[in-house]
This record gives sequence, structure tokens and C-alpha cells, in this order.
Amino acid sequence: MLNFETTLQDSKSYGDLTLSEVEPILKINLRSNKREFSTKIGKLLSIIPPIEANTSSSNEDYSVLWLSPDEWLIYSNNKISYEQQNLLEENLFNNISNINQGSVTNVTDHWVMINLKGYKIYDLLSKSSPYDFKNFKMKKGSVTQTLLNHTDVILHNIYDNNLNLFVRRSFSEDLWLWINDSARFL
Amino acid sequence: MFIINCPYCGERDQTEFSSGGEAHIARPKQPTELSDDEWAEFLFMRKNIKGIQFERWNHSHGCRKWFNVVRDTSNDKIHAVYKMGEKPPVNK
Amino acid sequence: MSQELRINNNKFIDQTTRLSFKFNGEKLYGYKGDTLASALLANNIHLVGRSFKYHRPRGIMTCGSEEPNAIVQIGNDPSLTDPNVRATEIELYEGLEAFSQNCWPNVKFDIGGINNLLSPLLPAGFYYKTFMWPASFWEKYEFFIRHSAGLGKSPTKPDRDIYDHKYYHCDVLVVGGGISGIMAAKLSAENNNETLLIDDKNILGGTTIYQNNDCFQIDGIHTNYWLENEIKKIKNIKNLTIKTRTSLAAYHGYNYLLAKENLSDHLSPDERKNKIRQRLWKIRAKKVIIATGSIERPLIFNNNDRPGIMLSSAIKKFIDFYGVKTGKEISLFTNNDSVYETAISLKKSGVNIISIIDIRDKSSSKIVKEVEKHNIKIYWNHTIVNTEGYRRISFIEIMKLSDDGSGVIGKKIKLKTDCLGISGGWTPMVHLFTQSGGKLKFRSNDNVFLPDKNKTPSDQISIGSCNGDFDIKDIILNSNKDVKTFLGIENSPFDNLKVESSREEMKRNIWLLPSDKPIGKTKPFLDFQNDSTAKDVKLALREGFKSIEHVKRYTTTGMGTDQGKLSNMHALGIIAETTGTNMGELGTTTFRPPYTPLTFGAIVGRNVGEFFDHTRKTAMHNWHVQNKAKFENVGQWKRAWYYPKNGETMFEAVQRESKAARESVGILDASTLGKIDIQGTDASEFLNRVYTNAWSKLAVGKCRYGLMLNEDGMVYDDGVTTRLSENHYIMTTTTGGAANVLTKLEDYLQTEWPELDVYLTTVTDHFSTISICGPNSKKILSKVIPDLDLSDENFPHMSFKNSIINGIKCRVMRISFTGEHSYEINIQSNYAKHVWELCMDAGKNYNITPYGTETMHLLRAEKGFIITGQDTDGTMTPSDLQMDWIIGKKKFDFIGKRSLYRSDTIRDDRKQLVGLLTDDPKEILEEGAQIVEKLNQKPVEMLGHVTSSYFSPNLNKSIALAVIKSGKKLKGKKFFVPMENKNINVTVTDTVFFDKENKRLNA
Repeated sequence: MLNFETTLQDSKSYGDLTLSEVEPILKINLRSNKREFSTKIGKLLSIIPPIEANTSSSNEDYSVLWLSPDEWLIYSNNKISYEQQNLLEENLFNNISNINQGSVTNVTDHWVMINLKGYKIYDLLSKSSPYDFKNFKMKKGSVTQTLLNHTDVILHNIYDNNLNLFVRRSFSEDLWLWINDSARFL
Repeated sequence: MFIINCPYCGERDQTEFSSGGEAHIARPKQPTELSDDEWAEFLFMRKNIKGIQFERWNHSHGCRKWFNVVRDTSNDKIHAVYKMGEKPPVNK
Repeated sequence: MSQELRINNNKFIDQTTRLSFKFNGEKLYGYKGDTLASALLANNIHLVGRSFKYHRPRGIMTCGSEEPNAIVQIGNDPSLTDPNVRATEIELYEGLEAFSQNCWPNVKFDIGGINNLLSPLLPAGFYYKTFMWPASFWEKYEFFIRHSAGLGKSPTKPDRDIYDHKYYHCDVLVVGGGISGIMAAKLSAENNNETLLIDDKNILGGTTIYQNNDCFQIDGIHTNYWLENEIKKIKNIKNLTIKTRTSLAAYHGYNYLLAKENLSDHLSPDERKNKIRQRLWKIRAKKVIIATGSIERPLIFNNNDRPGIMLSSAIKKFIDFYGVKTGKEISLFTNNDSVYETAISLKKSGVNIISIIDIRDKSSSKIVKEVEKHNIKIYWNHTIVNTEGYRRISFIEIMKLSDDGSGVIGKKIKLKTDCLGISGGWTPMVHLFTQSGGKLKFRSNDNVFLPDKNKTPSDQISIGSCNGDFDIKDIILNSNKDVKTFLGIENSPFDNLKVESSREEMKRNIWLLPSDKPIGKTKPFLDFQNDSTAKDVKLALREGFKSIEHVKRYTTTGMGTDQGKLSNMHALGIIAETTGTNMGELGTTTFRPPYTPLTFGAIVGRNVGEFFDHTRKTAMHNWHVQNKAKFENVGQWKRAWYYPKNGETMFEAVQRESKAARESVGILDASTLGKIDIQGTDASEFLNRVYTNAWSKLAVGKCRYGLMLNEDGMVYDDGVTTRLSENHYIMTTTTGGAANVLTKLEDYLQTEWPELDVYLTTVTDHFSTISICGPNSKKILSKVIPDLDLSDENFPHMSFKNSIINGIKCRVMRISFTGEHSYEINIQSNYAKHVWELCMDAGKNYNITPYGTETMHLLRAEKGFIITGQDTDGTMTPSDLQMDWIIGKKKFDFIGKRSLYRSDTIRDDRKQLVGLLTDDPKEILEEGAQIVEKLNQKPVEMLGHVTSSYFSPNLNKSIALAVIKSGKKLKGKKFFVPMENKNINVTVTDTVFFDKENKRLNA
């Protein structure tokens, strides 16, 4: 087996604020504007991709984040092996893309997922995100795509003061440094 | 810095968007049948008016959807947003 | 220390905490709560600086951000010193060091003061008129001007301070914590609005918080006590956030406001360590309440700028708030009632008032009567015609005004005084209102510009004295009423307040007060910082300037760091009067942000040093670092540029790398190329429309190079796209074009071709790309993936295979950007570094050589392959690039097709890509160098320029690509490339220099 090397391999805490990269998990981008798509996914993963903007749906194994009216990001809530990831991807690809019900694209290494916990996480994000987190932080499961320090991010509110942040791998080290720097000045 | 009400994601800061210029300039279906002048009209000519302007915007740092905006360029007031393919809500 | 000018028992000053500070090297003391200005005044120092043009001695004039004179340099640390700081705004801290600006050798004896004597020679527009001619003298003039002018010194080293940014969203923003702001904040927050109240001072309450006067009472108590109580109460409201030391800088559309919070400027250097200095708040408020108050106007009379001449309201604040007497024998000069409040404050503190000079006939308001009880001499219908005193005012001369106010009559009276308080009425601070797009109207009875209620954006209001209410009764009544309407509130705790005040009945205004001397012999200053006088404005008008914007620039009135907060109204008044125009029609100059200066630090925040720009890194980045790569910035990416060994120069390293790649095997990190995953039943049709060539017949498992145009026919991007399965492609784009290409493709799918069943997903970061190139590349790959059949039959050039390396899936393409037999391995990024190391290991015996972008560029240039963005610049068609072969002429349409036969694109004298060889094979051309045919022509005709140039170690000569007018038909033609000290002879050639038959692809 090949060595697996993520970008950050780190976790940090500042007071009650903790930051950590979560790996290995599966991430898959779904796109479709087909009517049967939702039921197909429901059958395959026992989870329905949300149609309401800025929301997500979750079960024990997966979260599906709304990205746009025809685009979703699925990620596994638990760490899973490369083989399991492969099986899931193939299963989805064969049952969606191969029968022309939309696209299934593995983006596991495109995104780096960072978990942020602590009562000051929104103070931290507000240092460089123009997004108004008022409703986002009150509603568990909220999803938003916005900018953080001029970098594209996807944010997923998992519980009170606990969220997952997705950033493109190539930007992850840069944003990680920024987050750590900002966390020192809360 | 405006606030733009993305028809898919809701109100967001202008920094999340990028502008795509004047709206409702459809790409000709049969470009080969156009004269140089007609093609140039499609390719280059834009109004850039002071006042109510119909524009295309892209929620480039959000849902990546393109949509239309009716904006008064003299005071940046946005009168309407509507999806691609929809008719302008005010008389164009 | 002598603090005889101090009043004891002042609640705003902590007299138990003594602070030492230095001013121009002299050690002085003040107290916690002081500003630098109040501490200087307590030490009897008025003279703090020199004026900009005439270098006249100037003193502290105000107590706030409108201060034009007391501009100082703080500190002398080369990375932390701060120029142009208003002494009236800087809070005193232990160890503060301040210096006067704009004077040399020192503030008391200033050589530039000679300009004052020369002032008849320095009228408005002097610099424009004098230094225009002759043009060749400008450099000498500039030297002189730069030496004698200029405010403050910039820090010379990088700023060590930390600055922060913060986005903030709220329902209601209240700007200004005076009495109307406090009322508004309370009403707003108690009615369910998330409210932010900001104030630039360290203590809330504006001027009312020290208004301790029998004439002004609310519900039977003095206004200061009433407000103090209200402030205590609002601090416990849950919805209310209060930010003091926070000044609003800009008010943009959509209620987007910028405010600067000072977090540690008031702390001693020790206490500041590791703290943020300033934070820029980026506020989005649903509604904004402006309660920024008003500032007092000076009066314009002869020699009105001497140290010791101050705004009356400043004298009042120094005595009531800071407990500092600004003089021992004070006179007051006014056209309105407000100096009488100052008189009472001074009297209470036992300061001797010499006299009050009032240009009005009389005033019988409550407060004036109160003053009259104290037997203070009031000269009604009088004006000051002159003042004396060089470094501090010593005498004033007064005379009676003529009936129409245009002249003076009677006997001159000379009065001794060491401080003069002046008041010319009040100016509402409408800066923020107009910045936001609001329009002003003019109220003529007291000559003020006010927010026009009918031309106010719907999501904001102005209240209090910035809205033109100057009487406390009006302020309370109207603020309460307006805020209730604005926020839809029914009942307010302020509904039935009983307010007592002294109402001003009499008004008289003279913009330029007369003197007994002709105007030419007087110095009535308008703009104290820029030294423009009423005379200058009149001169500008005589010379034909009509627009106020032009008069402003010609005379520089209002162009200092204070932006004319004190001077603008008088300038307008004098212009209106002189030209016989109504002030309302004349209008004002434009108010531009920032309201008060912002530091660059606050503007950039943390985006300095390592955070100045983003750095994108590939999965192999650390390997490149460990192997001593030099990096090149490509967009935001850090790409390995070359890998110098044993002290090699860049040239030597690139030569070695280039040879190794052609002779054995080279390895390149190509991960930065954009990658777009394309799925859907119409994927082939989509590619047909976006690329110039045909895609429908590309077999599954094959790769094809594609050229993408803009609709104007110009080359936009290029790259190889691979058909992974029937309806599944992977497209690669250039590194720099990745994001834009995706946006453009989405644009076409969403707007022009919504009928196509195609989905795009970017996978640029998911896959890392390792390119192995050279005659031994096959041997390396066969070691890394032994199971893969690499025979030309199974795996020919321009095809792809799915494969597995040690259990991990990968895609291998046999494609080449160098002309060599080569492969690209695409694998999930988290495994890529390991695969790279496997390749390096497998190549040990073949001298596998990592190469960077420079060698890549050289190798492709040997083959004449273009780099979009280097050999193209948005004006090159495929035909200009001699790539006509890639145009699918039979295709019905593709992006840019119609433009390829516009009259302009078919011209045969367009610039076209050619090869260029130097006659001397060792001579390497400079990229960007111009190409000419005739050397003796004037002006010389530029035919084109060099786009790429290298020394090819494989051909042992210099090679270049260039664009030249009509280049296609010029093969063999000789040109010159003129350089600074020589002309290089060149010959046009074919663009392909190496292996023209492409034999090496299958070697």
C-alpha cells in the first residue's frame, strides 16, 4: 500500500478553540438535474440530497451538503479505508453516471476537511468572511459556501459551535496558517 | 460593496460574485449566416448606460450559478434578480 | 511639577495616576485621562507646530478630530513612528514621545518662518504659477519644495504592529455616543434590534456628559447627570454592543461602513505587547442612525491663527472635561450664544475673563443673562481687528462694527489676553450622510447644510446636531420622535421628558470680519493647516475660478489632513458673498472617505508578510523543498523552477536538466494544470463546441490536444482532454487559466446551451500529476507499474490506461509536451508524493532528473509548442500561431469560429508566430525584445517581439519564438533585434527546431 500523506497532519488548540484536520474520509461531488436522481441516491445511501438551499442531510454514515440546485457534496461522517471509499465511489458511479442520471466525481483529495470547535469559532471566521453567520450558527446542518481570507470554503454546521470547513488541498496549508494566526488574536 | 440576492443562495456580499456584463445578448444560433457587421454587433457592442441596466452576475464563490440582475448604475440600487432563461421582471 | 493650570477633583481625569511623557525632548507630566493636547495645555504649552506654507507658529485649536494645527509625530522607532497624529485625539500614556512637525530646526525657531515675511509673494496658486516654467527647472524647484514642505516622517522600517479586520452584521448601527446617539441606541436595542453603538472617544456622552450648567436640565437635573445615568443603564442591555475608541471612516452603499477601533494606542509600550493595535470593522447594518454631532466654526478675522486662539467649545471641554485652564486671562469672541456657556464654566473654575466680544447687537437669552450677572464685560456689536503675540497671543484689538458689518468705526481698544475663545456658530457633521449618497439642503437662518429628509436613503436617519438641532430641547424631542418613526416604535421612555434650555434668539453672521486695515494688509486665515486666507479665495475668484471644486484645489483650502472640517463653510460663505450667489445653490465640495485618516496597517490588516498573497502548494511541494528546488510563482502556485546542484547557476541547472530529459529521463511535477471532470450524454458535443477541433470521433481511451478560443477568435486556453469512457472525459487546462476556463464553460452551459446534458466538476487538487519524459521513461514506468503493458500496440502515444500502483488507482496518459516518449501519472494527491518517490527510486540507474518549469519551457520551445499567455497575449488567432491544422472547418460552430473570418482576423499582415535564430548561435535574445527591419528609420517601425528565448543544449544554439507582422511568409528573412548597446542579427525560421519528424515520441 502506498504511503498516505495529508497536507496538515496537525491539530491545535487555543483556549477552548480546537482545530484539526479530519482524514481519511470519502468526499464525492454529485451533480444532476434529473428527476429520479434523488430517489436513486436515497436507495444507494439511505439519505436524500437536500433541495433546500444552504442545508444538508445526514445519517449515521454520511452527510450530503447542498452546493447548488444541481450539485451536492457527500462526505463520510466516519474515517473509512481506501478500499471502502473505492467501493462506494464505484457503486455510485455505476448507478448514477453510467446510467446517465448525473455525475459522480471523487473529490476526496480535492478538499481538506478541518474541524473547528469552540465558542469563538464565529468570531474567528468573521475576521475575514463577509458572510452573516447569524442564521447559520443557529441552525444545525446549515451549509454555506463563502470566502475566508479570500479563499473559497464550504462550511457545515454540525452542532453548536462545531463545524467542518472544506478548503481545496492546494490552499489548505495557507488557510491553516491564517486560521492559526487569527486564533491567537481572538 | 452591494448585497446581491442570489436567486439560489439568498443575500450575499458582493465579494462572492463576479460580474458578467450586459445581459440578454443571446449568442446567435447560426453565426455563419451573419455579416461581419452583424457579428461585430453581437461581439463588441454594449450599452453601458447610466441608469437601469440589465446585467449578468455569477455567484462565483458560492453556487457558481449565473443569473440576471436589474441594477441602476447611477446609485447601484438592485431592482430585481432573476434566473437565466427567465423573462426580465420589469420592462426592458 | 507645576500644574497650576489644573483644576482638582475632576471626575474624568485620574489625578492619582501621573504619567510622564516627552514633547520635543522635554520631559513633562500629565494624568491618566488626558489627551496629549490637554496635557500640553496643562503645562502651559500652546505652540505645537508650524503652518504648512508660511511656517507660522500654531497652537492647539480644538479638542477633537477637526484639529488643523496640533499635528504631531508620535514616537521615533523607525518601524512604529506615526506621523500626522492629532494631539487632541491621542490619549496620554506613560512614556509617550511626541514631536512637532513641519519645522526645522525646532518649533520655536523655524527657518521656514521666512516664508511668513515673504507671504505677499506667496499668494494662491503661487506654486502653480511660479514653478511651471521653465520646465527643465522643475527638478530644482522640487528639491526646494520637498525640503521646506511636508508633514511628518514616514516610518522607514516594516510596521511591527498587528492589525486586525472584522466583519460585523447588525440590525441597527448608531454612529456617535452623544446624547442623541445614547437615546437612539437604547430605543433600538430595547426594541429587539441587534444594535451596535460606536463612538470615537474613550468615554460615551459627547459634549453633554460635561454640560453641568443650571440652564440645561432634564427632569430637574443637570443634563450631564441625567446622561450619566442613562449610560449606566444602557450598558446592561443584552442586544447592545458598545465600541468606544472606534471612529467611522467611511459609509458606502448598502449600509456598508468601515470603522477603525483603537485597541492599544492608549497603552504604554509595555502594555501593548502582543496586542492588536487597531481593528478595521467592516459593518453591514440593516439600518443606520447617524448622530455624529456638529463642530464649532472659527471666526475669520485678521491674524486669527496665533497660538492661544482656540474654539470656545474646546476651551470649555478642556476646563470641564480635562480640568485644564487654557489661559489665565481669557477673552471670548462670538456671533452666537455658545461662548456664554464657556464663560460660565470658566467662571466656576475661577478663571479670569477679560471680556466677551460679540458681533451681535444684543442677546437676551437665559444664558447671556446668567453671564451678565457675573459682571463680565461684553462688547456688543464689536469685532476683533487684529491680534498680537508671536508664539502666543498677547493682545487683541477691537473696534465697533459699522451698521452693515462691512467696516469698523470708532476708537480701537487694546486688551491684554493670553487665550482667545472664538465661536462662529456650528456646522453639522454631514460627511457620512453625503458619503452614503444623501443630498444636502441649506438652512439660511443659521447658514448650515443639513441632510435633506426627502433625499435621504430609506435605511438611515440623521439625528441630533448633525441634523441641525442645536438646542438640547430640540435634540431630545426630535431624536426621540425620529428614531421612533424610523424603527417603528410606539412608546419610548423619552416621551415625556421635561427639558429646560436656553434658547438662542439673536443671530448675526459675517463670513469675513472687517479690519481697520485694507484686506491686502491682513491675514484672515481660513484653512489653518494649508495656510489659505480669505484673500486667497478672493484672488482665485478674481482670476476667474468659479466652481467651488476649482477654488478648493487652486487655493488648497480644505485639502489638508483635516480635510477642511473647520474652513470649508467660511470658504463657501466668502465665495457666495463675493459672487453674489446663494449658498444653497453653490453647494459644497464633495465629502470623501475616510472621515479621519486611516493607517495603512488598518487597511491591510493581517494580509502582510506571509499572508500578503496566497500560496498554493502541490502534494510534492515538500519533496521539492528538500531537494533544494528554486520556486517560481505561477499565479498563486509555487512551482519548482529548477533544482540547482552543487552551486549551479540557473542557466547551468536548466542546461543539465534539459539534456538529461532528452538523453535519459526527466521527471516533472505537473500537478498545477487545471483538471475538469466532464460527464453527461452530451459531453462529446460540448467539447465540439468549446474546442476548435472535432471530438465526436475520439475513441474511448484516447487523448487529444485542444485549443479553446474566445468568441473573438483569439486563443484563450489549451490542453489535452482524455475520453475516459463513452460519456466521461477529463479536460486539462493551463495552470493560470483553470478557474476562468471552468467559469467560462459553466457560463456557456447555463446560459447558451442549457439543453446539453453535461456536468463539470473541478478535480485540480484531487489529482496530482507526475510527468516522466525521455527515452528511458518507459523503463521507469514499467518498474513502478509492472502489470501495465507499455507496448506501442497496447499503449500508443495519445492514449490512456487505468491502472493501480500498490493498491491505489491511477490514470496514466501517454502524452508529451516535450516531444519525448513520455507519460503522465495522475493519482490522488494524498498518495502522489509517495509515487513520485517510487519513480525517483526506479530511475536511480537512469540518472532520473527532476526538472522544473524553466526546463519544461525550454524543451517545449525546442519543439515549437506554444504556451498560452507567453507566446499568446489575447490577440493571436490559431492561424496567427500557424496552427490552422487544429481548426475543424467542417464543424457547424464552435466558440470563436465566426470571428476567424472577420475582415480583421484574415488580414495577412497580422503578427504571426515564427521561429527566430540568432546569426551568432551563442547569442541569447531577451524575451520581449523588439524586432525591426531598418535601423536608421525614425521613428523605427516595430515589426514584432520575441515571446520565448532559450539556449538549447540539445541543439547547442540559441533558439527563440517571436511574433512578427506577416511572419508566415518571411522564412529566411533577416531582421535586427536592437538592444541597449548592440544590434543582434536574426533570421526567421520554422517554429519547430528539434526532431521535426516527431521520431522521438515513439523512441
